[in-house]
Amino acid sequence: MGLLDHIWLGIVTVFTADPVFAIAGLPISITIVMVFFGFLFGIFVGATPGIGGPFAMAISLPILISIFGFNPDALLPVLGFLVGIMKGSTVGGAVPAILFNTPGTPDSLMTTLDGYPLTKRGQPGKALRVAHFSSVSGDTFSDIVLITCAPFLAILVEKFLDFPEKAALIILSLAFVSAVVGSNVWKGLLAALLGLFMAYVGTGEDGYPRLSMGSDYLANGFPLISAVLGVLILGEVFKAFEEMWREMRETSTITNVEVKGDNKLSLSDVRRILPYIGISAVIGTIVGALPGIGNTLAATLGYATGRKIHKGDPAFGEGAIEGIAATEAANSAVAGANLIPVLSLGIPGNISAVFILLATETISGFNPGPAVFRLVPGQINQEMVYAFGLFTTMIFANGLNWTMGGIFMRWMGVMVKIPKQRLLPIVLLLTLTAIYVQQTSMFAVYVTIGFGFLGYFMRKLKLSVLAFVIAFILANNLEESMRQAFAVTGADPWFLFAGPVSISFMVLAIVVVVFFARNQKNLS
Amino acid sequence: MKNERWTIGLAVFFIITSALTLFVWIPIDIETGVVETFRRRVNIGDAMAPTVVAAAILVVSILMGIMALIRPSPNLMVKEGLDKQSFNFLSRMIIPLGLGLSLMLYAGPLVVDFINTMGGEISTYRQLKDTFPYKFVGYSLGGFVLVFGLVRLIENRSSLSAAWAAIIAVLLLTLLYEVPFDNLLLPPNGDY
Repeated sequence: MGLLDHIWLGIVTVFTADPVFAIAGLPISITIVMVFFGFLFGIFVGATPGIGGPFAMAISLPILISIFGFNPDALLPVLGFLVGIMKGSTVGGAVPAILFNTPGTPDSLMTTLDGYPLTKRGQPGKALRVAHFSSVSGDTFSDIVLITCAPFLAILVEKFLDFPEKAALIILSLAFVSAVVGSNVWKGLLAALLGLFMAYVGTGEDGYPRLSMGSDYLANGFPLISAVLGVLILGEVFKAFEEMWREMRETSTITNVEVKGDNKLSLSDVRRILPYIGISAVIGTIVGALPGIGNTLAATLGYATGRKIHKGDPAFGEGAIEGIAATEAANSAVAGANLIPVLSLGIPGNISAVFILLATETISGFNPGPAVFRLVPGQINQEMVYAFGLFTTMIFANGLNWTMGGIFMRWMGVMVKIPKQRLLPIVLLLTLTAIYVQQTSMFAVYVTIGFGFLGYFMRKLKLSVLAFVIAFILANNLEESMRQAFAVTGADPWFLFAGPVSISFMVLAIVVVVFFARNQKNLS
Repeated sequence: MKNERWTIGLAVFFIITSALTLFVWIPIDIETGVVETFRRRVNIGDAMAPTVVAAAILVVSILMGIMALIRPSPNLMVKEGLDKQSFNFLSRMIIPLGLGLSLMLYAGPLVVDFINTMGGEISTYRQLKDTFPYKFVGYSLGGFVLVFGLVRLIENRSSLSAAWAAIIAVLLLTLLYEVPFDNLLLPPNGDY
């Protein structure tokens, strides 16, 4: 079976497997239905200040697994829903930034600079349309790069990387993420090391689960989903609680805003913004392909580059549609490219990618990494079929975004009226319920809350939660690669420096840490 | 220097904990060594990864502490660490969280015990954990207290609308899991 057969099988699986109903005799598969609902949910949460795509993915994942189970059949519907959220929330995030000067997420901060002045001038509709067009363009470009690059990168990785090189590559990725996320390299490293250590509790190959202190509860380690959701979601929820609590005491009110009118996007507007979209899409895609950097830097770089090339009125920051286009195209282009390291190396680069990887770790049948794109003569590589199925869901979600995204996006202006102080406690209960339903144990709930407090303290102390989570997820892969590398090199203690590729990865890891330690810049 | 005190505190904390982990916890709580020999084959033992990581934490913490002392961050705008207000908030937040979870865990069995004590003789909670209305008692009460308590804490007042929001949220979440799925158990019923 060749590459084209796998691509075709991936597409067919998405569109035909497990039809739930038919429209004019055409069967509609469960995966398509899930992408659609995920997309709607994504726009909904993206437009709700205080909640974003990662929140929605975190809440949905345990529920989806409860519904679809752990079998490979569940993969595409679950991944489809998560992809839908990812795409929907990318466009939805611009709504509160433009209409209410309220960036729902840090990467929409730059959108407020020109979006809100346009709203104040009575052109919120134009601003929303520009944001939608730019966001979807950037996202589509990024997906094309993902679909064309990830398989080739994976094949290269598979060809040139053995166990020592894979271990060295994971170390390089962790060093990179630790160094670039946050303001302090040492804190980034500390967070990553803490994540590794926590993941080693209760695991290992010996009959006695290491570091479990004899406790049966810790015998299987900390549940992955509890740890990740706790640190990423509950930590953020607790911090948001505190901020609202403080705001209430200082001002006796929590900022809520009101909706205004509408406007059009003309062909001449599109011509004006296209160069900015193109440049920002490239910037976002490059930034997105590097683990750990993320949307905020992409948005900042896209905006800064756009400002440099912009001439005429209005200037950036005073309601220029080019400013919105530059920001939205850049931060949306991160989404697809972020899956390049996940699918080709098995290394997640940002929070959305963490949840995609978490889904594949939980459901059997698909282990992202170089082996996914391995062609075996005469056989079907089911993992490759799933990978192309995933790409198909992304293209389908983009299609939804182009055709319906703008309409739904403008409807979602009302979401900003939901008070955050009422919504977030409900999100907390929903997260805890979802964890319980999946794990059926109050211990998992307590672990989630424990990791939530850890995430809260990490945020307060400026320790990177992303570095922690990525290290926690990769810890067992790293250890396994090291064990195998040690074995295949005949117990060579210098196995990480056994070949030129692994040496270059290790040297690069040291260079990255030293470089960023000497230049303590905030790249987050 | 004032700006770096949390960083220095963090470094000291991790220097102490990583040293304790390296020299006390790992030796007593991992049964294999850093490397082990089995049939003349040398393999990495279970202690290797935690030992390397704990040693790295120790080194990074020392470096972080030294760097904070000799090269404090120039960015005074970045607020770091916890202040009195943070601890005040945390101590208050623990109340609805703890109360909500306790009610979730114990309210159902307590209600069943109470009915039995009053002469109802309805059986044990374990036998009734999948029976209406007992299966909803813990989740409904605990969920309501959790949501309402947290909204009350943030808004600094009790309001009828917050109570309604909590009731509707619990009701919707119960419906979300109970109506479409027969095999799912709401908290805490799987623990009984």
